[in-house]
Amino acid sequence: MISQARPALLALLTSLLLSACVSPAWDDHDYALKAGKTAESAVSAVRFARSAVAYRERITGPYAEVLLTEAVQDLSSVNDQFGGVQPPSDASDRIRDEVLRLTEKAESEVEDLLIQARRDGVKDPATALRDLDRLASELSDFAEKHR
Amino acid sequence: MSEPARVLHARLHLLDRQVVRESDDRLLCKVDDLEVRPGDRPYVTAILSGPLALGPRLGGLPGWLMTETDRLFRGEERPGPYRIEMSAVTEIGSAVRVAGHRQDLALERWLTRNVVSRIPGAAGTQEQDAPDDGGREAPENALRVRERREDRPGTMRLAGLLGRTVRGPSGEVAGNTVDVRLVQDGPLLAEVQQAFRPAGLLIARRRAGRLFGYERGPGLWRPSLLGALVRRMHGEIRYAEWDQIESYDDEEITLRVAWDRLRTTADL
Amino acid sequence: MKRLVGVTLGILTAFGGFVDIGDLVANAVVGSRFGMSLAWVVVVGIIGICVFAEMSGRIAAVSQRPVFDLVRERMGPRAGLVNLGASFFINVLTLAAEIGGAALALELVTGLNYLLWVPPVALVAWLVMWRVKFDTMERVFGLAGLALVVFLVALWQLGPDWGALTTQLVRPPQDEGVPTYLYYAIALLGGAMTPYEVFFFSSGGVEEKWTRKDLVTARANVFVGFPLGGVLSLTIAACAATVFMPVAAEPDSLGQMVLPVAEGLGRIGLGVVILGVFAATFGATLETALSSGYSLSQYFGWQWGKYVAPGRAARFHVTVLASVIVATALILTTIDPIKVTEYSLVFSAAALPLTYLPVLMIANDPDYMGEKVNGRFSNLLGSFYMVLLLVVALAAIPLMLATKAGQ
Repeated sequence: MISQARPALLALLTSLLLSACVSPAWDDHDYALKAGKTAESAVSAVRFARSAVAYRERITGPYAEVLLTEAVQDLSSVNDQFGGVQPPSDASDRIRDEVLRLTEKAESEVEDLLIQARRDGVKDPATALRDLDRLASELSDFAEKHR
Repeated sequence: MSEPARVLHARLHLLDRQVVRESDDRLLCKVDDLEVRPGDRPYVTAILSGPLALGPRLGGLPGWLMTETDRLFRGEERPGPYRIEMSAVTEIGSAVRVAGHRQDLALERWLTRNVVSRIPGAAGTQEQDAPDDGGREAPENALRVRERREDRPGTMRLAGLLGRTVRGPSGEVAGNTVDVRLVQDGPLLAEVQQAFRPAGLLIARRRAGRLFGYERGPGLWRPSLLGALVRRMHGEIRYAEWDQIESYDDEEITLRVAWDRLRTTADL
Repeated sequence: MKRLVGVTLGILTAFGGFVDIGDLVANAVVGSRFGMSLAWVVVVGIIGICVFAEMSGRIAAVSQRPVFDLVRERMGPRAGLVNLGASFFINVLTLAAEIGGAALALELVTGLNYLLWVPPVALVAWLVMWRVKFDTMERVFGLAGLALVVFLVALWQLGPDWGALTTQLVRPPQDEGVPTYLYYAIALLGGAMTPYEVFFFSSGGVEEKWTRKDLVTARANVFVGFPLGGVLSLTIAACAATVFMPVAAEPDSLGQMVLPVAEGLGRIGLGVVILGVFAATFGATLETALSSGYSLSQYFGWQWGKYVAPGRAARFHVTVLASVIVATALILTTIDPIKVTEYSLVFSAAALPLTYLPVLMIANDPDYMGEKVNGRFSNLLGSFYMVLLLVVALAAIPLMLATKAGQ
């Protein structure tokens, strides 16, 4: 019994793991929804990066680095996944440019912070916080529009 | 006989219970099956264990894999299941306790010798069981020689009676066997205790697997929801005395009397 | 202190169910997305696991039979084998995740990538299971896990809007779909009532040589350990609802989920919480690895346990060692430990009824229990939970597919 169930279970698991990845967009609306989700995930990552900077005095160096590293990883995987989706029409191209501009900016911004943190701490925390806040609010405005 | 003989339901009280060695509480094996000597008054002669006893009960691919793997590694001409004489049984409760210095099963001995004793810090491997020193009564000793043979000639396994289709005298299907009632009034084993004798079969109208003990008196139908559900799934349950059985084989059991004339479980 | 030491088995077991690596993060995710609106599920889970852990502890004390013995005995070899296959599969998956979790905790302290920590963590865990006495093991990791109480302190320090948290209890957020809500409800319930908890708890009772005289100890373990684990899991959700929900941040890693403590209590809090996380995940590593040994040995009737010298339970120790090796290999493939538990949680929901049904039956069987059979109240609750678990088991996989695992 069980020996027959095992392969089926594995197949199920694999298909689930695959289905969790980004699937192709069917139309403009679907594409916009995906863009909205992408912006949402990016907001989350930017917020964690912001916390790492805001609380740098209260947390340890290795922990701040882990937080920033994870934010960079999340942003880059968000960019890769959404960048891989084929926009269905010219109208979608505009949305694509808009969201990728924001998320790619976020990625490079957080990457910079990570490099600084690894070297000898964030140089200009006040500016960094302001930039991250602005990015987060732009991203969440975008997400709000496309949901 | 001064007190009434002990009554057990084989599947409920014996099969699949843990076997524990009396002398040091070591866990030996499970009661994977029971060996029965057939005849007019059949009786249980031994506990069978190991893959060769469990495999056939599982059936299907897992059972086949289990038995074949075991055969492959045994390298004997006709290997049989691990066997414990019923005369060695000292107590049947939440576990079955057995007397004597019975050895562990082969896999445990092999792993102790070849794997565990090579890991640093393996205390206790030296205490490996000495082979049965024959300290017990002669009959068991005499039987020990044949322990590792395929089913001994002229014996059957009790699980073979479970889940069988039961037919009435005119060939109509009456139900399915769900359990075997054992009464401890069989012949004397090794001059120490009486053997358990299959006294009859519990037959359920519908085929629905196990009874989980809900065939017993109404005082034991708890929790009530579960008890009611299980009994409903099985339909009516009746009891056929051993001498009401006309014949039995691997597929079917035929009764001498019609379903209506069987006893109900209420007057057990 | 002496009383506390007596209930470490319950604490260790409960933490493996409520605040192991998967649940630590799942609780934070739930808090950040649904606020406290799933708190009732945790309460349902606490009561459920208490009911069945109490029965299994009582059975272990009265008859010295652990749970998988009961599964095999009452369900028979075939249904028992199905349960064994499912539970073993879940155990090894969860074990892999927990090893990864303990390694992640070390990464938070050292900054070294967690994959480097995986082999040493696995080796130490195995050494503990091979050589350390059972009660020493449960005391050290049970008590160290208590460091997670720091979440309670942090919550108080963060000064949340208690009124808002209370309103969330009955009002789920509007922007989440009903299937997603239900999916997380099942995941939380499955996490609270994972079968390995009762395997470990009842086998632990046998390891500690409980007898009828220890029924009070058994009950104390149940009614201290599991509610404590449940309260911690609620606190983690409340912290996440306070810190993450307002800014729409959704934690998906161990590092992110401990952030509220760092914000509330600074470096010291961070140190304590990482210690607690390490102890809880390492404890869960031991719990799942031993459970895989317990369930396999008890199905086949092998000598098991740490109450005999390691050389006297060869098949048991070989099983544990093999599970640790397989799990380590699995986690070294860089598979995300948290994702692994998310899936195994849902599969465990499907294995729940097959584990708890025989416990309920045998707790009612006077052949085993004598006069210690279930009372009316236990049976009422037990029957209710059997129905609930059946519904959960049927709904788990369809909901997982429909919501793409809660995305």
